[in-house]
Amino acid sequence: MREYEIVYIFRSNFTPEEIEAKLDRFHAILTRDEQGEITAVEQWGKRQLAYPIRGQTNGYYVVAQFTADPTVIAELERGLKLDEDLLRYLIVLSEGELPIPSSMHDEDDEGRGGKRRDDEDEDEDEDEDEEKEE
Amino acid sequence: MSMAFRKSCRFCDSEQRVDYKDSQVLDRFVSDRGKILPRRATGLCAKHQRHMGTAIKRSRYLALLPYIRGYHD
Repeated sequence: MREYEIVYIFRSNFTPEEIEAKLDRFHAILTRDEQGEITAVEQWGKRQLAYPIRGQTNGYYVVAQFTADPTVIAELERGLKLDEDLLRYLIVLSEGELPIPSSMHDEDDEGRGGKRRDDEDEDEDEDEDEEKEE
Repeated sequence: MSMAFRKSCRFCDSEQRVDYKDSQVLDRFVSDRGKILPRRATGLCAKHQRHMGTAIKRSRYLALLPYIRGYHD
């Protein structure tokens, strides 16, 4: 058993309920043998894609963490590839952290001046960003 | 003197992880064309620069970061 993390990008024209139904279907593959377990699901919701995928400019992002046997992953992927509404997915070994939705905020960062700054002000940066959006 | 031996990687200092999902952080480690910045520009240690590279590539795949910026626009 290993811990994994998966990111789904669905087409953005779905309601959270419809997405939920799709997720249930995928996750059923993992939990079928009573071994795998879904440990966290985080819906980021609709977000603009950095570049178009299959003509879509927006995607509906979901991050989930689960434990499963490596052999089940292949099976899951087979199922995922059949879903036309899933623009993209990524399965990686989980690094333990909970899926943070921090980057789900729309990035309207046209004027990207200084991207790289000195050590100390990381936290302050993030505060600034949040304030701007509110 | 001792400054020269300081471990000064921001991820080491903060114990923050390099997360491929956090595009706001990753964005600071790519150039205005979207290229991964070299170590001399990021100031990261070997480990975290490596993690950064991987994270940026994952992030690009997920369309959280662009592969290239400012070419088509």
